[in-house]
Amino acid sequence: MTYAIEVENLVKKYGDFTAVKGISFKVRNGEIFAFLGPNGAGKTTTVHVLTTLLKPNAGTATVAGHDVVREPMEVRRKIGIVFQDPSTDRELTAYENMYIHGRIYGYSGNELREKIEMMLKFVELWEFKDRPVKFFSGGMQRRLEIARSLLHEPEILFLDEPTIGLDPQTRAHIWEYIRAMKEEHSMTIFLTTHYMDEAEQLADRIAIMDYGKIIAEGTADDLKKLVGNDVIYVRMEEPEEGIKCLNAEFIRGCRIMPDGRVRLDVQNASEAMPKLFELAQKNGLRILEVTYHRPTLNDVFLHLTGREIRDEGGEQKVARMIMRARMRR
Amino acid sequence: MRIFSTMIYREMKRFMRSRARVLGSLINPIIWLVLFGKGWAGAFNFPGASMIFGGVDYMTYLVPGIVAMTVFNMSFIQGITIIWDKQFGFIKEILVAPASRGEAILGRITGGAIMVMIQGVIILALSFLIASGLKLSGVLPALALSFLVGLAVAGMGVAIAMRMSSMEGFQMIMTMIMLPMTFLSGAFYPVKTMPEWMQWLAKVNPLTYAVDGSRYYLAGVAPTFSLTTDWLVLAGLAALFMGIAVIEFRRATID
Repeated sequence: MTYAIEVENLVKKYGDFTAVKGISFKVRNGEIFAFLGPNGAGKTTTVHVLTTLLKPNAGTATVAGHDVVREPMEVRRKIGIVFQDPSTDRELTAYENMYIHGRIYGYSGNELREKIEMMLKFVELWEFKDRPVKFFSGGMQRRLEIARSLLHEPEILFLDEPTIGLDPQTRAHIWEYIRAMKEEHSMTIFLTTHYMDEAEQLADRIAIMDYGKIIAEGTADDLKKLVGNDVIYVRMEEPEEGIKCLNAEFIRGCRIMPDGRVRLDVQNASEAMPKLFELAQKNGLRILEVTYHRPTLNDVFLHLTGREIRDEGGEQKVARMIMRARMRR
Repeated sequence: MRIFSTMIYREMKRFMRSRARVLGSLINPIIWLVLFGKGWAGAFNFPGASMIFGGVDYMTYLVPGIVAMTVFNMSFIQGITIIWDKQFGFIKEILVAPASRGEAILGRITGGAIMVMIQGVIILALSFLIASGLKLSGVLPALALSFLVGLAVAGMGVAIAMRMSSMEGFQMIMTMIMLPMTFLSGAFYPVKTMPEWMQWLAKVNPLTYAVDGSRYYLAGVAPTFSLTTDWLVLAGLAALFMGIAVIEFRRATID
């Protein structure tokens, strides 16, 4: 089997700070592969190394069969990229942005004109082609960037947080484009995101990244099996006291969430719930509210790191305190 | 040559789109020409006054200086606007493209210099209306000299801007550098009659050579230095700063 991307022990440092701590992974031809992780996990740094914009400090990376350090030009010819931050020329129109991109990648004349039309129609921006990009909404700019990244028919497409900051409708719209690209052009797509639903919706395989390391890799289902059970959330009058009493065989783990709810890991929520009420009654605990769900990727992340994927800054401290308070059996 | 010409195309498009800004930037030299120039032209209107200015009237003497000053200012602005490309991310589009980065940045600088030339032509055309002693035959060589100034200064602007991350403080640097350089270039008065320490500063000021050369071509004033010196200094500086810009841009990564 040949791989679109092969990475071995990749390390990238900024001064004393190590952003990427020796990661290895392989992306198969024609799949959508997602890097899922919180901000600052090293996802964008990895993308920048793979797209030849940064040189790694150690390790190797091969993209479309070419080494990113030794053959950057070959790599650049075969990839398309949508950066996390906008990279269009705001003063120019959508068409002019596309035209400049096409010229740089060696297209000209009728061939270029047809390609621009095709791609702008694909992202439904053809009617706005003569409007300067500075008048575009965030979603329109993103779509233009997607159209631009596809113009030169790359073998591998990098999408760095493609829907960050967009409203839910626009996000769903952009997901449709991404799925269509994969299906119509059998393109390999490397995606980074901190949205769990995005990874779950789009990716064939997901690597979860945290603090510069890949902590788990597999399909969404594989990853959920890591949690291995259903999750019940219980709101109680006195969670600190209550959590000590929830000692029973059917409860595999429990901890207090930042919002004060108690989270219980159980094998089967429907069977566990009556037992839970029984247990609560026996111990004189008042349960105010119960919800349960199948594990999500957020539960996987929580299971692996003790934090939620959106934890940032001050919330991390809280998460760490909760980790310490976690009960182990 | 693909990315070189594409970058020139881009500069052209941006130039066309910012017509208001371009016209606005012509106001400053026009104020100098009309208010400053006409004012002094009246005062210098006595017998023998033209002896001070190499045998021509003050207006004619001033025009090449104002053109050189304008080209200098605008090229510098052209160069440093690459900061916007950095901030708005267009640089990344170039850095990730399968094309020569050196060629890209040379195209950016050349495109900028060409657009500055167009502004120079407008100023010159206006000058012909208010200064009587200008020579039409001098227009082309004077523009060629200005083009070298444009390449050198835009190159310098790019080299500086690649090391900076924002436009903050640039306004101050501009006034701090531009004003003394203009006064020390012989744009308004001859270098020869300056105090010796000023003459010394004028000689290390590249703008002096642009003023000197174009004043010869446009007004017929005998050059302070030799024409060869003027051409060589400007061509040398253009090569030097474009070289530095290329090296900086090749090394550029994103942070």
